[in-house]
Amino acid sequence: MLSRVANNLIWLERYMERGNGILSLLKVNYSANQDAPKLFSWSPIIENYAGGINFLTEDPIECIDFMVFKTENPNSIINIVKKARENARSVQEHISRELWLCINNYYHFVTNPNLPNKLKEEDPIIFLDNLQAFHLMFYGCMDVTQERGTSYYFMNVGKYLERVIQISDFTALKLIEIAKTSDSLERSVFWKNLLLSIGGYQLYLKKHKSAFEEKHIITMVFQDKLFPRSLYYSINKLNRHINMLIDANELKKNNIDFLLGKLESTIKYTTIESINEQGLNNFIEEIKEDIRNISFSINTVYFSHSN
Amino acid sequence: MVNNNLFSSYNQLPNTWDEMYNHKEIVRQPYEKITNFLKNTSSDNLFKKEELAKQLFMSQGVTFTVYNDNEGIEKIFPFDIIPRIITASEWSKIERGIKQRITALNLFIKDIYHDQFIIKDGIIPANLVYSCPNFLREMKNVEVPYDIYTHISGVDLIRNNDGEFYVLEDNLRTPSGVSYMLENREISKRIYPGILPQNQIRSVSNYPNILYKKLKELSDQANPNVVLLTPGIYNSAYYEHTTLARLMGIELVEGNDLVVNDHFVYMKTTNGLKRVDVIYRRIDDDFLDPLEFNASSVLGVAGIMAAYRKGNVNIVNAPGTGIADDKAIYIYVPDMIKYYLNEEPILNNIKTYQLKNPDELEYVEKNITNLVIKKTDGSGGYGMLMGHEASEKEIEDYLKTVKKNPSNFIAQPILRLSTAPCCINGILAPRCIDLRPFAISGRDGIEITPGGLTRVALKEGSLVVNSSQGGGSKDTWVIQ
Repeated sequence: MLSRVANNLIWLERYMERGNGILSLLKVNYSANQDAPKLFSWSPIIENYAGGINFLTEDPIECIDFMVFKTENPNSIINIVKKARENARSVQEHISRELWLCINNYYHFVTNPNLPNKLKEEDPIIFLDNLQAFHLMFYGCMDVTQERGTSYYFMNVGKYLERVIQISDFTALKLIEIAKTSDSLERSVFWKNLLLSIGGYQLYLKKHKSAFEEKHIITMVFQDKLFPRSLYYSINKLNRHINMLIDANELKKNNIDFLLGKLESTIKYTTIESINEQGLNNFIEEIKEDIRNISFSINTVYFSHSN
Repeated sequence: MVNNNLFSSYNQLPNTWDEMYNHKEIVRQPYEKITNFLKNTSSDNLFKKEELAKQLFMSQGVTFTVYNDNEGIEKIFPFDIIPRIITASEWSKIERGIKQRITALNLFIKDIYHDQFIIKDGIIPANLVYSCPNFLREMKNVEVPYDIYTHISGVDLIRNNDGEFYVLEDNLRTPSGVSYMLENREISKRIYPGILPQNQIRSVSNYPNILYKKLKELSDQANPNVVLLTPGIYNSAYYEHTTLARLMGIELVEGNDLVVNDHFVYMKTTNGLKRVDVIYRRIDDDFLDPLEFNASSVLGVAGIMAAYRKGNVNIVNAPGTGIADDKAIYIYVPDMIKYYLNEEPILNNIKTYQLKNPDELEYVEKNITNLVIKKTDGSGGYGMLMGHEASEKEIEDYLKTVKKNPSNFIAQPILRLSTAPCCINGILAPRCIDLRPFAISGRDGIEITPGGLTRVALKEGSLVVNSSQGGGSKDTWVIQ
């Protein structure tokens, strides 16, 4: 496969995964903000995704509008979808036709000049759900129509790379809030909010009932083997697809398999006690650093062929 | 319910061949089935069909991006839903005519870059060839595989008021539009369910298969690596490049994906360099190789021409074919056909005046309101002067430019392009059309997909069919 194509496939998935995550975050924050506007303000989200841009309002609709439509926000949904489509457009012969049509239709949906009015007229949750439906269709399309092989592996590398970064970011974001309060009720509300944002709330209830204990939440978000949005699960999948590529001679080892194996073990075998000892924040920072190195190593492989 | 309104204001242009009506305003036989269908379709329904066509183009990504203030806007190439129909006997003549023409043009290109018999025999003046900007000295004495230069050609034809087809220009460099030929047919199938089989229309869908077969046969490798080289996503024909690559199952590459090593061309893949054998390039000669042509080109590949001359890679179309579709050379195509093939031309040329000849220039000056002046190396409908609609000032300015270098210009009578019915605001109106069939030359001869791209000047009274200037397209039906 062309190195440029591999690169575009990775970024196509990274953008789609990021868009899906941001939409979940917006939805959850909108609900929580209706309950407790002080606890769930919009500024941390905007700061994280559009850092450096002065945007001072706590009006929920304006904030969602900024996060979805504003082109000056590099991570607005409209920008993310444009970039995903641009990547998809240049690799059309490598992705299934259905997948391309799905992204192209999403692009036309989100760039329709009448859409911003809908946000002002409709229930914002329905509005965000309508956008997120394209992501769900995209996941389904990819699963059903994309043949397993190099393209699929590279796309999954992008998907799980972005997911690991996103889970780390979401958690770090909440930790800042949690650190501000000593009220245990408020803390548990924040933890619950984290679970909702990454989509693990239902599973948590099934496992631990409605009792929000930090150690259970951390174990689930970081170490659960069956929860598709846990760090362990995502890194495990990343590792699997990287190894498929290495086996197929599509990726030079370049230490990537070692770095990934090490990260996987770290997450798997670190006890909650030792996480607490070093501080959750430091633990997350270490994971993010490892992921950066892995991402950099993958880049080196395909950039080494470019000029 | 009969839609009487639909045909009510179809005002044929004077002295113009209409594809649907004969001069007595009776529907020509091949158009009977479709006009009967349309008569029973309400205007509302036609609007719906137009809307469906637009939606299909958009959702399939059959679009090009127009950049304005850093904002990209997706546009579709306007599509008129009423098909243009060509009969089997008309097509048979067009097909024979184009094959004859392409055969002669290909022999001409070979001759020009080798022995130049046609110059030595006094058929074509040497200075005309050497002063042509598209003549590539770099191609002199280069051995080209199977002596094929113009693998893919898109000859533009028009039908004059005598009902005959004339050749407007031979596009022998990187003609585009074939993806619209394919896509327009797909759209017709959707908006006219059941109508196509009734009319027994020849299929166009195997164009990519024929193209791939012919490209593959150019290589002596058993399983050659054929790629399509695109200038990239900002090119207005990028949709066409992705479509052809996808339908042929070949890799779409950009200049940066390729590298030349030891006179072989490779593509940079995730498991190392992979040799490339045949390149269907959609970038112009000038940008092909910064070492030999435009040094600032980032679209091409450094060293590719040297690899080509060594026979290590095949470039399609061959560099330098522009010498044969130059507007000043065009005048000599009938002579070429006689010279190389000893045949009479099957398709006519349009009477063309060379402004470098003082008496022809004088004639053109006197009759300018009936003429169009074109630059010999121009394309896309740019840089021409339409005498009947230009102001005196425009004519004066243009003639000044002409006189600075008259050999860069030619003049032709303003043509009566034939008209075909178009759906304009829910009713039918005649609009001027042309026809671009696509011919593929390979080891075992020339194949032409039945039909081609019909372009239409959607502006009332306009003769310019180019997409950049208000043109659109139609599906083209060749009836068995």
